[in-house]
Amino acid sequence: MPDLFNGKLVFTQIPQLLRYLPVTLELTLAAGIIGLVLGFIIALIRVKRTPVLYQISTVYISVLRGTPIIVQLYISYFGIPIFLKYLNYWNGTDWDINNVPPVLFAILALAFNQSAFMAEVIRAAITAVDSGQLEAARSLGMSPAQVRRRVILPQAGVIALPGLMNSLIGLIKGTSLAFVCAVVDMTAAGQIMAGSSYRYFEMYCSLAIIYWVITLVLERAGAWLEHRLSVPEQAPALRQVTEAVPEQAERTPSLPERGTVRRLPALNRQGITALAGTVGKEAIARD
Amino acid sequence: MISIRNISKSFNGHKVLDGVSVDIEDGEVVALIGPSGTGKSTFLRSINLLEHPDTGELEIDGKTYDLAHASKDETLEIRRSTAMVFQQFNLLRNRTALQNVMEGLTVVKHVPKAQARERALRELRNVGLEEWSDHYPQHLSGGQQQRVAIARALSMDPRLLLLDEPTSALDPERVNEVQRTIAVAAAAGNTMLLVSHEMGFVRSIASRVIFLEDGRIVEQGSPEEIFGNPHTDRLRDFLSSFERYGVDHSDSGILTNTAWQAQEARRKEHEREDFALEAV
Repeated sequence: MPDLFNGKLVFTQIPQLLRYLPVTLELTLAAGIIGLVLGFIIALIRVKRTPVLYQISTVYISVLRGTPIIVQLYISYFGIPIFLKYLNYWNGTDWDINNVPPVLFAILALAFNQSAFMAEVIRAAITAVDSGQLEAARSLGMSPAQVRRRVILPQAGVIALPGLMNSLIGLIKGTSLAFVCAVVDMTAAGQIMAGSSYRYFEMYCSLAIIYWVITLVLERAGAWLEHRLSVPEQAPALRQVTEAVPEQAERTPSLPERGTVRRLPALNRQGITALAGTVGKEAIARD
Repeated sequence: MISIRNISKSFNGHKVLDGVSVDIEDGEVVALIGPSGTGKSTFLRSINLLEHPDTGELEIDGKTYDLAHASKDETLEIRRSTAMVFQQFNLLRNRTALQNVMEGLTVVKHVPKAQARERALRELRNVGLEEWSDHYPQHLSGGQQQRVAIARALSMDPRLLLLDEPTSALDPERVNEVQRTIAVAAAAGNTMLLVSHEMGFVRSIASRVIFLEDGRIVEQGSPEEIFGNPHTDRLRDFLSSFERYGVDHSDSGILTNTAWQAQEARRKEHEREDFALEAV
């Protein structure tokens, strides 16, 4: 049988590829964080419908979601140097494009792309928070900032998490296109290696395994986080109330002190006590 | 004394509230009744500015707020001196019962955590739910959730407790426990403004009943006046609609008519006693 497929090589070359894993992770992490922050800001603009910025964000999201990531990477790679030259021309500065590491072009393109997707996920999550929850918080006297921090963010976070994870998984795979910006990530390294051995099929199998395992780890992490952040499904045990019930417990349910009652004008006392009487122990002993 | 004056509110040119004013003495329980869509809830929600009325004033302990033009700080101040119990409970779903009650104390009133916890546990005990304090809202029945919501509202020591149809979203067998809890809070001297469709409950708990229709106060008086001797046709029509569907408003599960009369007699006696005591 001819040596068409070297199954062993698929696994033995993985360590070599993993030397480039940091590049892939760096791209993912940087683009993910920038994309999240930017996406969050854009989501806020869209929820608040801030004039002008809102219209800009609509176009921004539409364009970035509507063009292929590889095109965006190319635009970033060729566009930023041109932009820099114009800046130099206008400001009389002398920035050298060769000092900009190529990974920056890739990070920027991936981050902008991510921000568009994440903005939509976050916007949907914010609007999905039940308005009753906000009203409850407001009626307690919380300031708008407190409502945002204590109610909207935690609840929207839980709702947004699966969508954000999805987007992040897309990003990891998107980093495999970074070679167009002259970044040697895992995929690019694999292509170079396969170029000399002509074992392309084995190489892509190895890459597939690595990406899949990374994604698997992320999926598990996402599921764990989701589980941690959401309300437990199981009801906890009833709290043991060991504390001795204060002396009022011995009293039969009764009216508040006479003096208190008399202060209440035209209080429907009998009606209230008829109802309240059955409630138990020191229910009335509110101070 | 709490004074709510001249609240008006239009939605899309339709006048929902047309200059409604209500004065509430300390410790009074005032009930708003009336057909659906007459602005009862809007009135309640205008008081704590969950709704923004077109005109209106609120006076609490001598301080007057212009509800239509309240500043941010005034809005927070108003909300901190009133508390609301919602039809749909609206407990924060990612917090336990105890955390829900503590929330306002720690975040809004800046009570130290240990103290807030103690207070919250006491409030939960008062509504009979101390054992349930570690449960999340989704683990509690509707009635229990509403009792936690009442505990949460009372923990803020509100000058005025607003109850917006507190039992309307409950299963029938859960209505009583919530009504009792509210009655306990009333007995403890909390000042309340209640919107309810449970006429029996209104009759037993309210010190004054206000009949609202089409955004105006049509009639108001003591429960016995309103239910026993309605003056206007509109109120009579409204009350009779409860009878038409087989629910006698004077007898809807809480107090029978005879019990009511007996109670009335006892009440008058008590009043005489009180009077005598005062005279001493």
